This record gives sequence, C-alpha cells and structure tokens, in this order.
Amino acid sequence: MTVLRTSAPVRLSRRTLLKGSAAVALGAMALSSARATASDSARKCKVVDCHAHLSHHSRTAWEADDRKLIDAADKLGIDQLCCSTLTPRWPATLDGFRECNQWTADAMRRFPGRVLGYCYVNPGYSRESLEEIRRHVGDHGFMGIKLYNEYTCTEPVVFPVVELAIGLGVPILHHASHSHYFVEEQPRLTDGGHLAELARRYPEATLICAHISGGGDWEWTIKALRHAPNVMLDTSGSVTDDGSVDMAAAVVGADRLVFGCDSSMTAGVGKIRGADLSVQDKEKILGGNMTRLLQRRKA
Amino acid sequence: MIIDVNAYLGHFAFRRLRHNTAASLLALMDAKSIDKAVVSSAAAITYRNTQAGNEEVAEETKGHHDRLIPFAVINPFYAGWQDDLKICHDEFGMTGLRLYPKWHNYTLSSPCCRELVAAATERAMVVSIPLRVEDSRERSWLLNVPDMPLEEIVDLVKAHPKARFILLNGIGYTGSPLGRKDNGLPSNYAIELSRLSAVLANEIGRLIANLGAERIMFGTGMPFNYPDPALVKLEVLDATEPDKEKIRSRNAAAWLRL
Repeated sequence: MTVLRTSAPVRLSRRTLLKGSAAVALGAMALSSARATASDSARKCKVVDCHAHLSHHSRTAWEADDRKLIDAADKLGIDQLCCSTLTPRWPATLDGFRECNQWTADAMRRFPGRVLGYCYVNPGYSRESLEEIRRHVGDHGFMGIKLYNEYTCTEPVVFPVVELAIGLGVPILHHASHSHYFVEEQPRLTDGGHLAELARRYPEATLICAHISGGGDWEWTIKALRHAPNVMLDTSGSVTDDGSVDMAAAVVGADRLVFGCDSSMTAGVGKIRGADLSVQDKEKILGGNMTRLLQRRKA
Repeated sequence: MIIDVNAYLGHFAFRRLRHNTAASLLALMDAKSIDKAVVSSAAAITYRNTQAGNEEVAEETKGHHDRLIPFAVINPFYAGWQDDLKICHDEFGMTGLRLYPKWHNYTLSSPCCRELVAAATERAMVVSIPLRVEDSRERSWLLNVPDMPLEEIVDLVKAHPKARFILLNGIGYTGSPLGRKDNGLPSNYAIELSRLSAVLANEIGRLIANLGAERIMFGTGMPFNYPDPALVKLEVLDATEPDKEKIRSRNAAAWLRL
C-alpha cells in the first residue's frame, strides 16, 4: 500500500497509488479498521480516466507522448484511459477528425485494454459524422463520442449525433465551460446549462460534462446540472480548488461523478484523494460509475 | 518533514474556503502529514488596507509559530506601508512577504515596489510572489486580474540580487529564462511546485536538471487548493531521495532559517 510520505525513493507500482491512497484519503478520521476495510475494498476498484487525449500526429513526438501518457497512468494507478485525438485547430474538418479517429483506433491496438476510444466528430458534417460514429463505435469498438466546441450542444445540428448515441448506448463527452465573460476564441462554447437543456430534451441520452475543474466557475456548473440526472460530471482539469469534488458529490451525488484528468494527471488524482468522501463513493467516481456507463453499450 | 511554502488563512472575497482558520488548517496538515506551512492572509488580497489582514493572521497564528509561519501582505502603494512592514516583522514575527502587484494595481518595476523589496531584504525577509490567485476562467464578473508574466519576475530578480524570492502558483518556467540552465540570473529565487507537472511534460524534473533541486520548494496553495495534488507530485516525481528531501523541506528550512 502506498502512503503519503516515504523515506526511501519511490517509483510507484502500477495500480497502487489511487487504491492505496483511497484508505489514506479517509483522512484524520480513519481508524485502523476503516483503513483495512478501505484497503480491501479499494483493491477491487478499477480506475478509469474518462477524459484523456492522445497526441496529434502532426507532433513529431506523438508516439513518445502517447507512451508518456501510459507511463503516467502506470505511475498513478490508472487502469484505463478513455481517449480522443483532437485536431489542432477548430472547427475540425472532415479529413481532420477522420484521421484523428484513425489514430485513436491505432492507439487502441498499441495499448490494448488500456486505451479506450472516443469517436470525435464535428456535427456540422451531418451525414459524415454519423457514418464515422457508426464505423468506429459500431464496428471498431470505440466506447463513446467526443464533441468539442464546433457547436453549442443545444443547436439542432447536434441532435442526430445524440440520437445515434442513444441508439448505440454510448456516452457523449462534451467539452464545456462556464466563465462570466464571453470567450471570444470559443463563441459556441457549451456550458452546464446547455447540457442540462439537452439532457431534458433527450432523457435517454448519457452525457458527460467535461472538466468541471477546468471549465470556469465550477460552482455555477455544478448547480446548473443539479436537476439533469442523465448528465455525468467529469472531475478533470488543471484547477485543484479545494471543495470542488466535495460540492459536486453533495449537489448531484457521487453516482454522477466520473474521474478524469484531461492530461492534468496529478491534479486529477489528487482532487479525488483530497475529497472528503467515503471510500465507497471514491470507488464509484474513480471507475465504478464509468464502468457502469460502458456496460450500457448496445450490441 | 514537509514544509508547505504556499498556504493561507482567512476568507477570500470570491469563494468560500474551508480549513481557513489556524485550528482547521492544522487539522488538515495533520491529516496530510504536512509539518509546517507558510501562511498569509487570503482576505488581504482584496482588502484595500492589507494590514488588517496581517493583524488577523497574527492573531490567528499566536501560539502556533512552531508550525504556522506567518508572512505579511504589503501593498507598497498604500499609505503607511513602512509602518506596517515594521510592525509585521518586529511585533508579529512575520519573516517574509507576499506581494500581489496585479491585484493591488502596481508593477514590480515601480519605485515603491523596489523600495519595499529593498526594505524587506534589509530585514532578511523572504519575498514571495503568487503569480496567480485563481484560474482566470473562473474569475468573478467584477474583475479581470491577469497572471503575473514571468518576464516581469526576471527583471525583479536581476534588480535585487541580494533579495530572496519564492515564486508561487507559477507554470511555464522552462519556457522562460527563469527556468533555463545557465540563465545568467542570480540564484536568488526558488520555485514552488503546486502548478508544475511531475509527469508528462515533467516540468519539475526539467527544473531540477536546469537549476538544481535546491531551487524547488514544496507548496500546495491550501486551503484554496486541495493539498493532495502537490503531495502526489512528490510521490511520483522521478528524482533521487536527497533531491526530494530538499524539495519537501530542506530548501524551505534553509531559506526560512527554521
């Protein structure tokens, strides 16, 4: 079991840090019996990063960067990474998102069982996006759909993608942020309020609101999503504000939170460790909830 | 031992903070095995008269100086800062400063600021500078405070070679002279790690290679931040144990004369 402080050089073995720390994360209230229970329980917990990215192949170091992601996951005890490859510029072109998805498929083959794939599309290419999703999710085993900022999620052009996701039984991870100013570089940015509206229109859909800890005012986002039971909240992002995961769990419930890093690896792990939640709730967030979502996939 | 050079007490204007009293912060430190923490007033970031925040921290840390090391927040453009500095150092036992030029609307190159840094250096006080308080994307509609550009820090450390600076809440040093090897700058600044990466880009590892582990200090940003992300960085960092020990506590202990 890993502890917070060590006196000798430590290279953490795979799948130990989060699990070991789940017991430690009980904090000052932890008693030895509670630790034992937590530790036993934690060993069963699969850790799934719901929001990860592979490197675009225009980067010369893309292969090494992908390897670093897996190495980081190894160090941090992350079993699986739900990955998309995004285009370097938006809006994504048809060729742009197609090659990204091909590279994601390649990474799934290079890291079998570790890399799960999101199919990234620009819904503006209506027919082609649906074909791309059917090909990769339906035939190539991708686990979900990734939407970025090409359209606000409440625009009708997005609806066919949501309807296809419902048909396939897979989640949509939607880029989201809420700032109290207009984000000029992302004029069609989606926020938690938009996702709540989309969720009301499609209560059968499973939506994931991306990076509450990297998407502006997280208190606003959490409150906006309180009454949207089919929207999950992804804890990823570089912001490590104390209380963010705790508030999300208190307002929407731990059953609706999914652990993620979005490339901010230690931030992602540390926030879950730091949250004042039961080990059972942390297990749900770390992987239980995402595993449950992945099981909804239709044949 | 773990020494956190980046902690706070009191209220922040735009978000409720937990663990922001001496008792609750100490309880959090106990839970996370953090032995000592440098603290300053979170309220003073937005108070006009920052000395009120310093007084609150002085009162709150009374009897806890073995673990809570109080720093003063001074605005060199506010009347009476020289008196405040003297009181904070002589009466409150504050051994360092935290400066907020962007929040208090002055520049690091202004004569008043340079005078403050010189006065603090004369008193052997450490000068720490948070390069940001919170992520700009979550800012209130009331304000738009930019992060402190690293190039402004470069000019400051050059201008005060005898001063000792701790740079907090920063990132991207390896893209700046501050984080480059053989940069020609005085070795009068240390870099706190709460926003630095320990995997993927591994900025901490690159800074150790470029500047030496002597220049990196552990910090969390608590109670603004969960302390755990910074602790996780230490755990997964590929570094020798002697280097980790420097980062955990030895560097801060030497600078703070603990």
